[in-house]
Amino acid sequence: MRRRLWALLPLALTTLLVACCPAIASATIERATLHAGFSPNRLGASTTISFGFHLETAEGLAPPAMTSVELRLPAGINYATTTLGLAICQPQALLARGLAGCSPNSRLGYGSAFVEVPFGVGPGTEIPEIQALMGPPRNGNVVVLFYANGLTPVFAQLVFSGEVLPDSRPFGSQLTTEVPTVPSIPDGPDVSIVSAQSTIGPSHLTYYRHRHGHVVPFHPVGVSVPEHCPHGGFPFAAQFGFQDGSSASASTYVPCPARRKR
Amino acid sequence: MGGTACRMSRKCFGLSGAATTPSELRTLVAALSVALLVSAALVSASARASSPVAGQSRIISLHETGRLHLTNKRGFVLNEVGTASGPIRGRIYIHLKIVSTNRVTAEVNIYPSDGSLTGYATAAYRVAGPTASFTGTMSIVRGTGAYRRAHGSGLGFTGTIARSNDAVTVSVTGKLST
Repeated sequence: MRRRLWALLPLALTTLLVACCPAIASATIERATLHAGFSPNRLGASTTISFGFHLETAEGLAPPAMTSVELRLPAGINYATTTLGLAICQPQALLARGLAGCSPNSRLGYGSAFVEVPFGVGPGTEIPEIQALMGPPRNGNVVVLFYANGLTPVFAQLVFSGEVLPDSRPFGSQLTTEVPTVPSIPDGPDVSIVSAQSTIGPSHLTYYRHRHGHVVPFHPVGVSVPEHCPHGGFPFAAQFGFQDGSSASASTYVPCPARRKR
Repeated sequence: MGGTACRMSRKCFGLSGAATTPSELRTLVAALSVALLVSAALVSASARASSPVAGQSRIISLHETGRLHLTNKRGFVLNEVGTASGPIRGRIYIHLKIVSTNRVTAEVNIYPSDGSLTGYATAAYRVAGPTASFTGTMSIVRGTGAYRRAHGSGLGFTGTIARSNDAVTVSVTGKLST
């Protein structure tokens, strides 16, 4: 009798897991939405790129812990003009001292995220501070460091990095980011990222330079909106990878700017 | 003059001092003239062959350094002008095009006092904080003046861009045939 009970244990545990943790058991994420924008949205103009996503399972629950995200940006964005990231932020300094560990001239943008802790610890919570900074280049590619400063209930200061790589048409580049998992409670499941938004661009950023013995603030120049808008708008797309091996993708378009009246 | 003297005295002396007839003397003068002409032609040809601008190719070891500043930006292209120093000195113009997040192409024109050189380069491009750098190869495809036969490929092409003001330093190394 006792032997039969032991034999049933794996089955019982599996059933319990599926019942308690649909987010982990689910192998597919059915709903991923992406939004993006240029501010200002004017052909050839220095701009701030904003992007964000929302993820949920088909049942409307929090997704498994995210492990990677690839954000694909439209072709024609001009990186030649930008003065963003005039300093490099070292990840170790960022972890040790937070934003104070890096030059303000390394800041690229900012954002926030909304996370959920599984097992009904409570409703989702916002991580109000996510900073994007210029990291040390990797394999000759630009690296964007993301610094997330979580307080309650997720006490975690995280640094993770994305690499800017060339992409194929209709995209011009992609930001490929490996996302570390964040344990919710000791030995508990990892935190789910439900949504996040961030900017890359000069909006609300102030840099400093030395001029004639004085420190002078200035606004950096952002990347430029492409000179030409493809039919249907500027394409953006994202691919998300999750801890359970599943993935999801989403795409969106930024509408072509209105033509100026002559 | 000698001919007139011979005709008057009816007796002439050759170079060896031996007496010659006027007809022998005419033959001797003609032979000497031909020899002088041939010698002059040979000396002239020899002189032409030893001149560096006479069609013989020569090899120049390039180690050019250029310091340039931005004149304007057009889309993805930085147009730069400055001065080249090294074996070939003169004004240098570079049109640097950023073709992707990690590649650039460039057209390079150098104007020394005795001609011009034009080359094209492709290079890997990386941004590292205040400085972007590029490393690749360049080919010299045409020239004018003393460099009209210039060609060279696989030349080293490296440089930096100061991102705050787009000032460029560039270095070109390798062998150039002219």
